[in-house]
Amino acid sequence: MTSHPANGLDDIVHQRVRLGILTIAQEARRVEFSYLRDTLGLTAGNLSQHLGVLENAGLIAIEKGYAGKRARTWVTLTKAGQAALEDEIAQLKLLISRIEPAPSL
Amino acid sequence: MTSGTVFSGDDPRQLLSDTLDLTRQVRRIQRATWFPLLALAAVTFAAIPFRYSPHRLGTCAATETARACTAYPTALLVYWPTALLLAYAVIAAFYIRRSQARGVGTRVRPYAVAGTILALAMTGSLLWTLYHPLAFTLGGPGLFPALNSYPLAIGLALVVLAGAERNETLLALALGYLAVVLMTATVGSISDHGGLGFPVQLVIPGSVLLLGGIGFLLAQRPWRRAV
Repeated sequence: MTSHPANGLDDIVHQRVRLGILTIAQEARRVEFSYLRDTLGLTAGNLSQHLGVLENAGLIAIEKGYAGKRARTWVTLTKAGQAALEDEIAQLKLLISRIEPAPSL
Repeated sequence: MTSGTVFSGDDPRQLLSDTLDLTRQVRRIQRATWFPLLALAAVTFAAIPFRYSPHRLGTCAATETARACTAYPTALLVYWPTALLLAYAVIAAFYIRRSQARGVGTRVRPYAVAGTILALAMTGSLLWTLYHPLAFTLGGPGLFPALNSYPLAIGLALVVLAGAERNETLLALALGYLAVVLMTATVGSISDHGGLGFPVQLVIPGSVLLLGGIGFLLAQRPWRRAV
């Protein structure tokens, strides 16, 4: 018996904000903290919590630096993060294919 | 500022849809296609006066059945690689500066590297062909002029940019541009610089880049604040 696709979902990735962070980080070579905060509509504290979860899981790397006098925090997707995101998308598609009725002929 | 897509639920369809929206949003912010197109149009048009420099490089060669001569303005041979390397450096700096201002990284490096390699390779190929005129007798009269054209190098690099930007419209433009370059290359050649063919090889591809750049400028509207 094959397991239900929902069992293949990773709890760390299968969360709407963290999935958003990984999606943006995949598209951009690296993304700045403030862009993530504004785009995802989060507070700085909330975003920091989610980034901490992803960083601890090894899915993103966080780099702090300066652009001129402004402190900047840059987020980069790791290889593990890339694989986790691809797996999540594949599982979501599988789930959708299970719940959507097959097209009638 | 809160803008664009905010993930709105745990429904798989909604999550996938939001993921696609976010992807599109990031790509839209990353793109600055108008800038390289306008910069390269300027480089192409600026090449035209160098065509009239009096000093030429080239030679003649003959066999029992064929004879061919080449001539290429020396100033143009210096201008093209210098201008293209400078242009790719400026384009890369522009993208990087823009990405720092917007907080979203860019994938301009493959384009700048490919453009630089192609410009240098084209120079090497052109120099070789200039001193091997009999190469013109191989593959038909249009093959070598078409392959020894800096606009061809520009077009191939634009295909790389289209891939880096995941920009299908730019890919279509780059392929159309390459078709124009290959067609106009046969109008004149590096063995035929006395005629009118050479300016046409620059004016028409340059115009395609200019019009494409203006089109992308109007579509991407960089003067609007990114949302």
